[in-house]
Amino acid sequence: MAKKASSPNLSRRDFSKIVMAFLGSIMGAFVGLPIIGYIISPALKTQKIDDWVSLGALDGYPIGTPKLFSFTRTKVNGWERTTNSFGVFVLRKSASDLVVLSNVCTHLSCRVKWIEENQAYVCPCHDAEFGIEGKVLYGPPPRPMDEYEFKIEDGNILIHLTEG
Amino acid sequence: MNEEFKSKYHEKYAAAKQKGVKFWPDIIYKDLIVSFALFLLLIGLAAFVGIAQEPKADPNDANYIPRPEWYFLFLFEALKFVPGQIEWVGTALIPGIAILVLILLPFIDKNPYRNWKKRKVGVSMMSLVVVGIVGLTVRAVVTTPEQEEVSLAGSIAEQVIQGQDLYSIYCAECHQPDGEGGEVAGVEGLEGVILKPINSQDEMWTRTDETLFNIVDLGQQDLGMPPYGLGYGGELQRSEIEAVVAFMRYTWDERAEIPEEAIIGIPGLAEGEVPSYEVHISAVAKRYCVSCHRPDKENNEYLMQTYEEMLTTGDNADKNVVAGDLENYIIVTLHRESIFDTNGDEIIGPMPPSKEIKAEYIDMFERWVLAGMPETADEAAALSEPAAGEAAPEAEATPEP
Amino acid sequence: MAEKIYNWLDERLGLEAIYGTVLDRKVPKVNWWFTLGSASLFLAGMQAVTGIFLTMYYVPSPDKAYDSIQYIMNDVAFGWLIRGIHHWGASLMVVIVFLHMLRTFFYGAYKYPREITWLTGTFLLLFTLGMGFTGYLLPWNQRSFWATMVGTEIAGTVPLMGDFILKVLRGGTDLSAVTLARFFSAHIWILPAGIVSMISVHMYLIIRLGISNIPSEEE
Repeated sequence: MAKKASSPNLSRRDFSKIVMAFLGSIMGAFVGLPIIGYIISPALKTQKIDDWVSLGALDGYPIGTPKLFSFTRTKVNGWERTTNSFGVFVLRKSASDLVVLSNVCTHLSCRVKWIEENQAYVCPCHDAEFGIEGKVLYGPPPRPMDEYEFKIEDGNILIHLTEG
Repeated sequence: MNEEFKSKYHEKYAAAKQKGVKFWPDIIYKDLIVSFALFLLLIGLAAFVGIAQEPKADPNDANYIPRPEWYFLFLFEALKFVPGQIEWVGTALIPGIAILVLILLPFIDKNPYRNWKKRKVGVSMMSLVVVGIVGLTVRAVVTTPEQEEVSLAGSIAEQVIQGQDLYSIYCAECHQPDGEGGEVAGVEGLEGVILKPINSQDEMWTRTDETLFNIVDLGQQDLGMPPYGLGYGGELQRSEIEAVVAFMRYTWDERAEIPEEAIIGIPGLAEGEVPSYEVHISAVAKRYCVSCHRPDKENNEYLMQTYEEMLTTGDNADKNVVAGDLENYIIVTLHRESIFDTNGDEIIGPMPPSKEIKAEYIDMFERWVLAGMPETADEAAALSEPAAGEAAPEAEATPEP
Repeated sequence: MAEKIYNWLDERLGLEAIYGTVLDRKVPKVNWWFTLGSASLFLAGMQAVTGIFLTMYYVPSPDKAYDSIQYIMNDVAFGWLIRGIHHWGASLMVVIVFLHMLRTFFYGAYKYPREITWLTGTFLLLFTLGMGFTGYLLPWNQRSFWATMVGTEIAGTVPLMGDFILKVLRGGTDLSAVTLARFFSAHIWILPAGIVSMISVHMYLIIRLGISNIPSEEE
């Protein structure tokens, strides 16, 4: 095999070094590149959620005070069925006017609570406070609480849940 | 080994080294070429041979034939020749001694010579051992009985698809194709029983996967549902029941997002398109017919699991499916009419017994019969061409004002 | 610049000395059978790399082991390749290591002064088989489950302490989650630790003593 390298400019040793570098790079590439794909692939395949979730009868919610509604969704993550829980505050401003807010703090995703005395949603992590319609009153959150699109069908509230 | 031999060895080795080559790059070059060949072999095996799919471990499956990894097969095979009372001779004593001899070989073999011509005893013993190992391995491979085939579902999407098929075969008969329940018709012993829907939110939200699994596995015999688990006299393996549960969960529970690849419908037909068995008819049949039209069911011996069966089986094989004839039994009964024999007795009732299938599926069957029952998608496409040809001139005509 | 960096490193790491003793040395001229050792090392390296990455998704529990491997095979990009290489590499490694042992035997290379090289080599062969045995259970499929059932049963036939050995191997009387966990631990920590230390000694001796020559008729 090494006889091919009989040309005066290329010694047998140099030839074998070139072959080795070449074969080595091929092996490195054929294992290395797939491994990169292997590592990042779960990040590229996330399941989308696009659903209308029922929050029950509109009449079940009091006017003027936010009420928490919790529900879960299950997704497939790898070999597991991951159940995520969601919480929304439903504020009925009048008989038909609603605000539906996610209970996830816009700062670092802690779950906020409605504190009646303060008339505010309070985040337990960094003491942030949000007003009854989600405006930031105090603390580090960068934006108001996230609002859900909603519709009312047959007296039931449905919210539009999207993810991914 | 005495000192004389030692110094003689060093002399020879020094001479060999003198005439030798450089480790780098000469030796490494050869090594790398061999390693590269092995690398290609590995990639080739991984890509083109792959890994045989195996079902999940089931400690309750008594039918599985245990076999060790191939490089232990020779040992496994050798045990066939050892009587049970002295089993330990074959399992412990002989292998133990062999391993010990191998490890201590340099201390046991006092012969100072290296060339095989001067070590004939040792070399022939080792050769015999190698021949024995290879022989036993071959013998084991040849005598291994075939493993029973089982269905396998990999990802959750595949599980859901497999579950859908199993559901159609085993459950749809009573619970209906979409779990909607209602009055059972055409099932021995359960005729007229009213089943509640099992696809409802009530049902799905209050029953865990484990509960659903147990219901399918053990049945609910007071309510008339027989057990389906292999262990209780049914026909389904654990993994199959899991697939059925996955199908139910991901199809009927709106809290669970069904993986996109798992959404399977029965493909619709375009104007003038001829359906094929492969794509359309088998899908409809699987969903609505096969639960009764399979062996050991009351169905006038008419089976619908394959193309062949659909055309050739049954007491009325000559009349069930007839090319170009819309008066054949399948079409007539799908239109909810009965078939009577010459004495005026009903021999086949409306199909499926419980309720009518969608008009579009009946239309599918009619077009299929009129086109002469094409099996593959290609055959159907060939038959569709005239229709497409007729449509084409129109399509061309319209854009020109 | 590159030369400066090299000199700086050489002064501290002694690169020239390593090059001189490890790479730039004369060895006897040998044939292609002598590549089997490095081929074994190469395969061991491939097994190590692919094995390490398999643990990124693999879960050693009876509930999830099978599903996690299905995930690797079906959903992870190139998971089939990584596992495929690991699966076939295991078989290939047994073959190559065994052939390497035969080559050493037939050329009489285990004799003075290479007795310890042989000794470590036989341990490496046994460890390779151990890796095969423990790794076989990990997919937790029918084949692996029943093979391990019988394999551990064989160990249980040893006179007097067989039952005890069986219980130690399985971590109890049954083939259970405990068995899977200890096989996993043996497969990724204990045996590899043994293999790495044995390879180190083996390699040191090869560099110290040089590869054996092909024995002439009077040797």
